[in-house]
Amino acid sequence: MEPLMGMGVLALMGAAATIAGTTEDLESDVGSQSNPNSQVQLAPQMMYPHRIYNKAISGEPPSNALICAIGGTVASVLMTASLSVIFAIAIGALVATAVHGTYCITAYMGRTASQKRFRQPIYLDILRSHTPVMMGYAFITTFCILVVSYIMVAVLAHPFPLTLLAFIWGITVGAIGSSTGDVHYGAEREFQNVEFGSGLNAANSGNIVRKAESGLRNGIDNSWFCAKFGGPVTGLAFGMTVFLSGWVTAVFNPATSLTMGWLSVAAGVILVLLMIIWNRKIEVAARKAFGPYKEEEEVAA
Amino acid sequence: MIDVAGIIAENILYIAMVTIGGMLISWSVHFVPVGGAPAAMAQATGIGTGTVQLAAGAGLTGLVTAGAVMSVSDSLPLVAASGGVGAMIMISVTMIVGTWVYVYGVGVPPASAKVDYDPITKDRQDIYVSQGTEGHGLPTVSYVSGVIGGALGGIGGSVIYFALMSTSTGLSQSDLVALASIFAVGIFFVNAVIPSYNIGGTIEGFHDPKFKKWPKAVLASFVATLMCAFVGILTIGGL
Repeated sequence: MEPLMGMGVLALMGAAATIAGTTEDLESDVGSQSNPNSQVQLAPQMMYPHRIYNKAISGEPPSNALICAIGGTVASVLMTASLSVIFAIAIGALVATAVHGTYCITAYMGRTASQKRFRQPIYLDILRSHTPVMMGYAFITTFCILVVSYIMVAVLAHPFPLTLLAFIWGITVGAIGSSTGDVHYGAEREFQNVEFGSGLNAANSGNIVRKAESGLRNGIDNSWFCAKFGGPVTGLAFGMTVFLSGWVTAVFNPATSLTMGWLSVAAGVILVLLMIIWNRKIEVAARKAFGPYKEEEEVAA
Repeated sequence: MIDVAGIIAENILYIAMVTIGGMLISWSVHFVPVGGAPAAMAQATGIGTGTVQLAAGAGLTGLVTAGAVMSVSDSLPLVAASGGVGAMIMISVTMIVGTWVYVYGVGVPPASAKVDYDPITKDRQDIYVSQGTEGHGLPTVSYVSGVIGGALGGIGGSVIYFALMSTSTGLSQSDLVALASIFAVGIFFVNAVIPSYNIGGTIEGFHDPKFKKWPKAVLASFVATLMCAFVGILTIGGL
């Protein structure tokens, strides 16, 4: 393939991955999935009943891997029946979304019902208003990941089957979403009642913010806040992962010669070194800007 | 009837390679700085997700890169290195974006609670840990440790995939790729789970006292992966 064409294909994959990453994180914010859900689950036990959707179907990576694998399987089957690619991917994502919606509802009902003894009500209006939002986000995530996987198979001639690629990218997008965007939800949005940057004392566990900008806070309020920072940076992270891991082999194509293969490895290592330095720069800047929490006193090294 | 002894004798090298790959993955997981649920609330140093999930996310991204390279090259060092680089890129990107969120979104500086001074930068750590937490964010030592973990995991996964792909078989190429990649993913998960009993939710990297427990996990992985290797090689070799 022409190098310029290859870069164009990669850019398209990166863009689709960025959207997938963003919607993956926002989906988990609306439904409160993954690690920050531990606080949502804990709150009623600490006598703080709330109106936040409580679903943790599983960790985000397996949950996203499941919907992407379902979507990939359905899309593959439809493509072998010689249906158009766009149609196959859309129907695949739709079936995956239906499965996801079912899990969302059973998770919310099951989890909340088990908290009856802590007087946590099951809000049917929350169920009705939030589930379609999560299904919508899940549809976009699955659709975009299937697009990335299809491009890899059909254009970049990746040897893995479409479904397996979708499964792997599902695991990856979930791992990235729960490592980056969820921190914004768990450490900032859930605990806006403590001073910004003061750290979150473990003694505050379960005391999540339950009042919204207007009325009582729900999952959609949380996604409104996280859409300003946590969601987009998750998208950037997944987009960067897909783009950079493909970029090194697109620029230095291992198919041409062994030397080019090793150059692609070197390019990847240089990118990683640059990111280590970048992380160090941010660390130094943050230490300088925020300062220590305690007075400095000498300790034995 | 499948000639079990014949297949094993013919592919003994690949069984060894799969086992070594599995042990590498098991070792690599100890390097990855994960803080689990507490880190998602900025209450522990590391990345705010589970051990298995992050290690799998990184290692499998490496496997995708390794698979692409393996389709055009048959050099084991290059396939393994490509897998390592793919995983390193994924984990580096995740950690740098994690740092953005901790610093700009939550407003806490990266700090380790397990050591008073960062072993790499020699920066004081304990006074930057906020009250009532076990550290937060990714100080340089954890970041570097995570990169090493990603690289080892990616290499391990690629070696397993390479060995399974090289097994002598009567399968067509596309069936072999599908079967080998699914076995590689499965063996990866087995070996990503075993170390989590050592880690128990949180580990900051190679400077964490829990890191010293890695030989136990690697030994357990040796036994588990050897069995997986027999099943995988016999399945692929017997078809």
